[in-house]
Amino acid sequence: MARILAVDDSPSMRQLVKLALASGGHEVDVATDGVEALEVAEKRQFDVVITDVNMPNMDGISLVRELRRRTNYRFVPLLMLTTESTSERKQQGKEAGATGWLVKPFDPARLLSIVAKVLT
Amino acid sequence: MCAAASEPPPSRCKTLEVSAEAASILLSFAMRESEAPAVELGTALERLSQGLRPAEGGAMRETLARDIADCVRALQFHDRLIQQLAVIRNLLTRLTDHPLPQMAGFGAMRWEELLTELRERLAEHSHHELFELLLRTGGVAPGAQLGQGEGTSELF
Repeated sequence: MARILAVDDSPSMRQLVKLALASGGHEVDVATDGVEALEVAEKRQFDVVITDVNMPNMDGISLVRELRRRTNYRFVPLLMLTTESTSERKQQGKEAGATGWLVKPFDPARLLSIVAKVLT
Repeated sequence: MCAAASEPPPSRCKTLEVSAEAASILLSFAMRESEAPAVELGTALERLSQGLRPAEGGAMRETLARDIADCVRALQFHDRLIQQLAVIRNLLTRLTDHPLPQMAGFGAMRWEELLTELRERLAEHSHHELFELLLRTGGVAPGAQLGQGEGTSELF
């Protein structure tokens, strides 16, 4: 079981990601944007962070960049979960320090298997 | 929006502006209205998922788990719809802020100008895909593939 932070500005998406991960036995906290995610991540250490890309206040790519600057998140898997699938955006995510890029809609079982993979 | 002398009569311009603004407000209301039911549906799924006890096992449990997974996948299309509607709402809002190509003498060239302007205002690749699909077909056919990459994953 891992502690996972799910970041998405859509309430229903936060709920669905949480549901999928909780069904795999993970403990899930949520945040509505990059700014809130940074606050939550500073109060509590997470094993994985899954974030949307397009969000108000701070987008997912900036969030990944900010988290990688913190020593306690340097090696934590950071996954992007987004509708965006262009190679340019993926490259931006990779350069920011993302561990992987998942394109919505996600399949719950697939999401769980990817989380398991990045945790090993 | 209707400042230039060669533009359509003020009353028509005003009607366009008001229509665009009204459409934008209606979209906002509709989007907000659909948010609570989507969350309710998610909560119901959460309860169903929590109700699945591993000890109960059997084919019924497997079927239910599969059904919940299908619902989780399907419900994400609501989020996608909301995103697309937000883009359309933003486009409508911008239409009232910036001059569009003239309505008078609207021909192939004006059409191309309009398309160029609209394409420039689309921020995401998926929005471009949707726009091009709408242009080609005049609508999105059921089962149309909007994104070839959807549902994919890649670890760096």
